[in-house]
Amino acid sequence: MMPHAQKAAIFNKDEARTDWHDASLWMVRKKRDFAVSEIPEWEFLREFASDIKMHTLSKLDDYLESFEKAAIQNGAIVHWAADAKEHNDIVLSILNKHQAKKMVKSKSMLTEECHLNEFLEHHNIEVIDSDLGERIIQMLNEPPSHIVLPAIHLKKEEIGELFHRELHTEKGATDPQYLTEAARHHLREKFHTAQVALTGVNFGIAETGEIVVCTNEGNADMGVHLTPVQIHSMGIEKLIPRRSDLAVFTRLLARSATGQPVTVFTSHHRNPKPAGEMHIILVDNGRTEQLGKPDFRSSLKCIRCGACMNTCPIYRRSGGHSYETTIPGPIGSILTPGIDLKKHGQLPFASTLCGSCTDVCPVKIDIHTQLYKWRQIVSEAGLPEGGNKTMMSIMGSGLASPSFFHRLGNIGRKLLRLFPGKERFLSFTVWTKDRDLPKAPVESFREWYAKQTKDAQ
Amino acid sequence: MQNKLRMPSKETILAKIKTNRPNLWPLPDVPIFETSVTDKKKLFIQILERGGSKVHCIDDSSQIHQVITTHFPENNRMVSTLPLLEGMEGITTLHPDFYEGTEVAIIEGLIGVAENGALWVTENELGKVRVLPFIAQHLVMVISAKNIVGTMHEAYKILGLPTTEGFGVFIAGPSKTADIEQSLVIGAQGARSLLVIVTP
Repeated sequence: MMPHAQKAAIFNKDEARTDWHDASLWMVRKKRDFAVSEIPEWEFLREFASDIKMHTLSKLDDYLESFEKAAIQNGAIVHWAADAKEHNDIVLSILNKHQAKKMVKSKSMLTEECHLNEFLEHHNIEVIDSDLGERIIQMLNEPPSHIVLPAIHLKKEEIGELFHRELHTEKGATDPQYLTEAARHHLREKFHTAQVALTGVNFGIAETGEIVVCTNEGNADMGVHLTPVQIHSMGIEKLIPRRSDLAVFTRLLARSATGQPVTVFTSHHRNPKPAGEMHIILVDNGRTEQLGKPDFRSSLKCIRCGACMNTCPIYRRSGGHSYETTIPGPIGSILTPGIDLKKHGQLPFASTLCGSCTDVCPVKIDIHTQLYKWRQIVSEAGLPEGGNKTMMSIMGSGLASPSFFHRLGNIGRKLLRLFPGKERFLSFTVWTKDRDLPKAPVESFREWYAKQTKDAQ
Repeated sequence: MQNKLRMPSKETILAKIKTNRPNLWPLPDVPIFETSVTDKKKLFIQILERGGSKVHCIDDSSQIHQVITTHFPENNRMVSTLPLLEGMEGITTLHPDFYEGTEVAIIEGLIGVAENGALWVTENELGKVRVLPFIAQHLVMVISAKNIVGTMHEAYKILGLPTTEGFGVFIAGPSKTADIEQSLVIGAQGARSLLVIVTP
């Protein structure tokens, strides 16, 4: 696997495109700020959301059992999956039971995590992602680059070209309205012919056994209500205790995600439609493991709004694909090292530790603190982490010894004066890549101070 | 053999949670945050319009029909779950595909939320045809100004726990997407427009 820094460097080669990507996401961040400013009790809501989630995690076993009981009473069929494989096997068994060959799916990061599409296609099931962004990247055979805006990395010209090839739109057409209309017709036909619909779950309510799905396009509801069999795949951390807790979370989610006051549709599914069948799959896949890590368990509070991505200076300038994880950006960088430290251990270093992610997080996950803590674990495990090691050890000994620090400063200033501009002599560290160092002062503060006191005497 | 001895996943997951869960964290009591805005109806209309919906206020429910025909003058297929309006079709079958081709669906909203323009509707107001507000090309929702509340907290307080309804949804505008270069397009997979008629 190519390290994040290397992938980011490739992404950065196209400067205009990097700027465009950066600006697109910053616009979403600004919309979020405006939406947040309309709620005077915003900070209280964050605190409540965080406490509700922490409480749920502290009694997750009880709540899962209450949820299951209520859901079964409602008439749903509840399954438990320890890992991705079991989840996928359950979905396939439901499809097989109904001899279904075609399934529509609305956005679900969990099924991305489980690589459900590849698995089902391997078993000759046609899977149609019905969210527009997801459909686009599915046609391109790419993973999503963002959890809320899966096709944010693509230009409309590329989508126009793709739709011309796949949906026979006019060549050269790039108008988003026109392209969306084409997708609408294409997907309508799929909704009517699929036998099964699968959705992700935003919230599961322990006291009622309901599952809640938040969308803007209406695709999840089109699928669920038009097909006889509905499946809802849900990570076990999606539970909340009470129906009224939804007030807190619906106020936070869309505002944080896209700056809308609420998603267009907030659907509460309690039981199957007449003559229909409703399945809920509760998935662990590493979540109970994360729950056992005191420093990192609060990452399970995440409600997948994507605000930490939109605000992250690294994410905005390196693109979601550079992380090579299902969930990219700051939250992904604290969720994934626990799954595979060797593979994802470099990601906590793809951060400036500026803390902006923590500031915007609607459920108050201390993301940047956890990034820092993962770095300690990665370093202790002796894993390579991104090329800063030499510089870190020089800085470490430099900062530990006043006399060495003094000498280091002297050498540094001299070198900077001799070779201004691009600091080639520092090429062993990535810190000076694409960055100019400041002009070196003639003397250090210490030298200046010594002179001042001497003059004063 | 191995498979037979394996603990079912439910037990494995629950046992792992018991070992790994943190100490009991208190569950907070969330207050009913109310909006400071005095004119809830005005805010409700403002937020709906900002989200791409049209709003029409009337003085008397007898004007509903006229408002709808003004907005949709063509003689298209209209399905209504309100006490039957002239020239409109009611719910005749529960088969969802039957409603493809519906140009306008007219339904009642039970609660309106001023802070985000969302309207609550359950399958009971949809004649159990859950797909109706999504499959129709255009959606009309009728709501009484008396049922407009300030925030989601107030809405969920009124909703309480579900009793007869197996499906309920907050609808806050026409279906939309910004998946192509963040350009807002109204009319994604669901209704292309939302007209909200506010009765006294």
